[in-house]
Amino acid sequence: MKKRWPITILYRAFSSSTTSTTASFPLKHVKKSNFDSALSSLRHHIQAADFVAIDLEMTGITSAPWRDSFEFDRFDVRYLKVKDSAEKFAVIQFGVSPFRWDPLKQSFITHPHNFFIFQRQELPLDGAAYEFLCQTTSMDFLAKYQFDFNACIHEGVSYLSREQEDKALKHVNSTYKDESLDSWHSLKEIRDTHLFNIPDILFAERMKDRLSEWLGGLLRNRDEGSEVQPSFNDSKQQFETIFFKMRPAISLNGFTSHQLRLIQLVVRKHFKDLAYLRVSGENSCSQNVIVYIESESVKKMLMKEVKDEQKIDAEMSIKASIGFRHVIDLLSSEKKLIVGHNCFLDIAHIYSKFFGPLPLTAEEFISSVNKYFPHIIDTKILLNSNSILQQRMKKSSTSLSKAFSVLCPQIALGSKSTHLSLQPSVKVEVEVDDIRSSNWNSGVKHEAGYDAFMTGCVFAQACSHLGIDFKQQSSSENLAHNEKLREHVNLLYLSWTNGEIINLSTGNRTSESLASNKRKNHYPKILFECIVIVWGFPSHLKAWDIRECISKVYGPTSVISVYHVDETAVFVQFSRAEMVSKFLDLKESLDRNNDPISVLHPLAKLLEGGNTCAASYETYKEICSSTVSKVLFADQAKAVGIKWKTKLVESSDKTKEHESLRKVKAVNSDPSCGERTKNKNFDDVSNDSSYSQLSSDEIIDSFYTREAKQI
Amino acid sequence: MVPKFKPSPLRIRSFCTKTVQQNPHHWPIKQITKTNFNESLSEIKNHISSSDFIAVSLQNTGSFSSPWHRVSTFDTPETAYLKAKFAAERFQILQFAICPFKLQASKVIAYPYNFHLFPRDELKMGMPSYSFTCQTSYLTAMAKEGFDFNTCIYDGISYLSEAQESTVKVRMGNPMAVDHATKSSSSPALSVADTVFIERVRSRVKHWKNACTDSDIKTEALVTSLRKIVLGGEQFGSRPSMTIDVCSERQVQLVLKMLEDFSDVLVPLIIPAKGGGTQAVRAVLTSSDEDKHLLKRELQTFEFEQNKRVRGFREVIDLISASQKPIVAHNSLNDFTFIHSKFLAPLPPNMNEFICSLRLAFPQVIDVNYLLKDIGPVKKMTNISATIAYLKNRFFAPIEMEIPNQANENEGKIHGHNVVKICQLFGKLCSILKITPDAIESSDDFLASAINRYANIFYSLPGSSQEPTNEEIRGWTNDKRKVSCEDVVFLWGFRERISAGILKNMLQGSHEVFAEAFNVRMVDRSCAIVVFGKPGLSNTFKNVMNSKEVSGPLREMVSDGLKAAGYETYQRVCSSGLWESALADALDKALASHNCLSEAAYETKQSEIYLSNELINLAEL
Repeated sequence: MKKRWPITILYRAFSSSTTSTTASFPLKHVKKSNFDSALSSLRHHIQAADFVAIDLEMTGITSAPWRDSFEFDRFDVRYLKVKDSAEKFAVIQFGVSPFRWDPLKQSFITHPHNFFIFQRQELPLDGAAYEFLCQTTSMDFLAKYQFDFNACIHEGVSYLSREQEDKALKHVNSTYKDESLDSWHSLKEIRDTHLFNIPDILFAERMKDRLSEWLGGLLRNRDEGSEVQPSFNDSKQQFETIFFKMRPAISLNGFTSHQLRLIQLVVRKHFKDLAYLRVSGENSCSQNVIVYIESESVKKMLMKEVKDEQKIDAEMSIKASIGFRHVIDLLSSEKKLIVGHNCFLDIAHIYSKFFGPLPLTAEEFISSVNKYFPHIIDTKILLNSNSILQQRMKKSSTSLSKAFSVLCPQIALGSKSTHLSLQPSVKVEVEVDDIRSSNWNSGVKHEAGYDAFMTGCVFAQACSHLGIDFKQQSSSENLAHNEKLREHVNLLYLSWTNGEIINLSTGNRTSESLASNKRKNHYPKILFECIVIVWGFPSHLKAWDIRECISKVYGPTSVISVYHVDETAVFVQFSRAEMVSKFLDLKESLDRNNDPISVLHPLAKLLEGGNTCAASYETYKEICSSTVSKVLFADQAKAVGIKWKTKLVESSDKTKEHESLRKVKAVNSDPSCGERTKNKNFDDVSNDSSYSQLSSDEIIDSFYTREAKQI
Repeated sequence: MVPKFKPSPLRIRSFCTKTVQQNPHHWPIKQITKTNFNESLSEIKNHISSSDFIAVSLQNTGSFSSPWHRVSTFDTPETAYLKAKFAAERFQILQFAICPFKLQASKVIAYPYNFHLFPRDELKMGMPSYSFTCQTSYLTAMAKEGFDFNTCIYDGISYLSEAQESTVKVRMGNPMAVDHATKSSSSPALSVADTVFIERVRSRVKHWKNACTDSDIKTEALVTSLRKIVLGGEQFGSRPSMTIDVCSERQVQLVLKMLEDFSDVLVPLIIPAKGGGTQAVRAVLTSSDEDKHLLKRELQTFEFEQNKRVRGFREVIDLISASQKPIVAHNSLNDFTFIHSKFLAPLPPNMNEFICSLRLAFPQVIDVNYLLKDIGPVKKMTNISATIAYLKNRFFAPIEMEIPNQANENEGKIHGHNVVKICQLFGKLCSILKITPDAIESSDDFLASAINRYANIFYSLPGSSQEPTNEEIRGWTNDKRKVSCEDVVFLWGFRERISAGILKNMLQGSHEVFAEAFNVRMVDRSCAIVVFGKPGLSNTFKNVMNSKEVSGPLREMVSDGLKAAGYETYQRVCSSGLWESALADALDKALASHNCLSEAAYETKQSEIYLSNELINLAEL
């Protein structure tokens, strides 16, 4: 029996383990401390680069087993799953490896950077706390490859997405726009609430005396032209005379916030020529000062000056927390060719972490991505879709490490063994901190920087196999426009599982054609309108039982396949679309009537326990779009707020009309279509019947593969 | 259970180097990871059994994601529990510090341990947890304290909850010995099919058994093995065995009944099916009675070892639970929802069930916050160090901390100080409240009753009163005024970043219900609560908001999007898990889903009755 759980998640799609040695590969590790310097050098490298290879390490892939990638993912569902993953998990390492062709050395020079990133809440923003999900298996996987979590959490570079930056800036703008209004209100509250008790009144009086004493002294001194008297500074240094913007002022120290509020009140009430200000002093801690001012207009000016300064400070700190996003902005603004390996999820992560919330639909997402990154190449597609490369790969797996060792053995094994292979190989040199090396020990685990390097090498070698001559390639010409690459640019695997490819520049979806012979499980085209999702059935029922149960009602060829989403839910794929509504209607009526006939009905086995729910594929999509992630699908459906047991495909009025009629039909497993379906879509029906004839071989075929898989 | 207060400190001290440490940063706290877990267990076991109390303290990956998810003063015990439940289900415990300790005069003798945990999926079954949430601020704060995440993730101790362990047992499909519970006593009436089935199985078993026992005498080895293959024999360990496939639980009973005839040499084992139920019955052939007992013992030790491996850190929880000692915690609702969900079973849907279930495992839980309440009008202190400092200034109750040295000096950073601070605070409080230490010497019963008084309070969490039966909402700060939930209205749909003061000003002139005294407090940026001083006004207000007669400034505000709902809507938000990041969105959702439900009317009625009993203490607004 095929089991879908527990699903062993490989961290990056299908990569097998790399051979790891302890010796280090020249890789620039970037953390908080060296970020600024690394960024400025990286800027030059990226500007000069022919292409930039990237790779990401995340804290997880799927937030629940049923959100894993299935053959039964329609493209919109697939996007929702990717979206969920990108929204929930964090990126903790980002590898950037710019590759530049060096005509003198006749080799590529690359500068692999390995960024540790960790988003901290640096700005005093409101609302929800920053949080992310960790998938335990992924964390374990990273630990297996000695991922340095301390470097990431202690010293990772933080970042701010464009959207977060805009929000923060807007927040600053509004704060400094209507601050006067707010402060007036808050003062009014103080007046209302705080001057009732005696200690407060006494304290306020004392402050009033001291302030007038200071003011008196100040005015006297000004008239006499002497220095501000130092005697005023009391022993506790609570009042310290300073100069604030060239004006005499008192800095208040060691008061409680309540006392400060009282002082603020006193100043407002009794001293027209004093202004109370809260300014950010050195070391970013705030300072409370009372400033002497000559007139209202001067006060206004001063207030404006202080406010503007604070605003600039706040904006500066926002700019300062952009952090790692500078690298992404750079990649985007330079419009370089981005190279990744099976990188649809990576791109989604980049979008949600550094640009803004992911759009609701795949179409919107694709068009926005294309705006930010006009040229992306996926090496996994490249290797699978080109016959020359397929030949080169000798039908081995297209996981990154495998591709690297097959295509670039001289790099994988270190340049010591250059003459190992006879194939023309592209030379790659690594430069880190101005030290070039063409000789290194291979393999550094699943580190983003090294994976990015491998991706770049695979791409460079693949280009050479495709007949791209880097020697002829002028440096000004964008590699992405090379005619030999053109047909591969901007194609990404929407889902590797079912080989669906999406074109980022056109939005077209195609199924993989060339490489399909490599796939072990060759499924017939899945018609999503033929699929019902059933969940909450008795736990001992397995796919085979469910198939048998339904086949008893609709005949042995009615069910093409039953596929476990997880232990609580299955997809049932019918041979014809109209069976979906028939099945749902029947289930609904059986649920409602608890008479002996229903109990003896073949479907009763499936409905045992009374918690069995069923709905069309659309409901699955709806459930996938929820932000909640319960581990079990049945729990998820409950959490999403599904309270019905059956969601009929048509409007309920019609259903009731035809109910009794259809029930009889259903039991007899009448193959003729219900009249509703006919009315709805005549073409569909005719196509459908032809399909069922033409593809009967295929159905049987799939039936057997399915069985073989299950047993 | 009454804790034992007949300590034998001399014996323990005789082999421990005594350290009296007052500086928290030098407290030797034993750090435990996967590497030294097994070797430390017996030591911990001894310390637990010789202690008076056990303090616990957790370090989690987060607590609340949005301001309103935090347990607040306007929460009833029920909503507070639901909030704590939500957090416990999502976040993870990375450090679990326990400290068995004794109180002697003004001295606390403590044996602190800090366990590093990580939920590793060792059995590849998505357990103990498929995923967990981390709050960056929590991780950053831990990083500042020098927490080593690599140690935690590489070398943290895993665990399984009790509930998970029982599922795992079934899933692993280990053969189980048949106990008398699995054998049904009444012999079922036999149908013809049953008889045929039994006879067929019986003859198979007989042939197989004969083949096994006779073989060594008469036939050759080759023939024997061939015969074994034909008859379906296999090995169970070193013993021959035979698997009998069954299709139903009834057949299991029949087979077991039949095997009783061979009970002199055959031991039946049940092979569970992966999805529950029974897959097969396996008969194991033993050579003698001693061999039979030996087999049974082998099975037991095998199971025991495997369970131990699977349980991991839960072993410690089981030790604490088995000791039945009073447990001292600082933030008990939070800690024990975590403990329940990670180590016992998934959290039940409501507070009462939670308490019943928790009580079975931990009969006495003492929250130092409740001891504090007896001292006087102390504000709720979230920080233990601050509380200790506060008490130090107000009371003379020196407590000497003695920590018999356990920590290795060469270990890196020492974590888990909080648990020792809890011991210290508890010692201080006991001394101030005169519960101890003299009481310990004179009478166990006195202390027991005193402790019981506090232990019970936990179960009225987070009610502030000492009557556990009366459900109330905790005070906001000092104000002892109590307000019924009925007088509370949630308001939202105003412009963001409004202050409570402005909102109050706006409301004041908007309608006549606001002519009487009322208070406004912001819950989060999107939502405020309004508390009416005079009973009944809240209903008037809610009715006005929902009627067409709304007029004047209030109409203006409603047109701008102002909405109002009573406390029952808030309760529904919590109970149906609408944990949106803004409370306003959650309330909107609750209203929307409420409107389309037919059973809604019934629900409201119920909650209204429930509500009228509930009171909130109100602070200055």
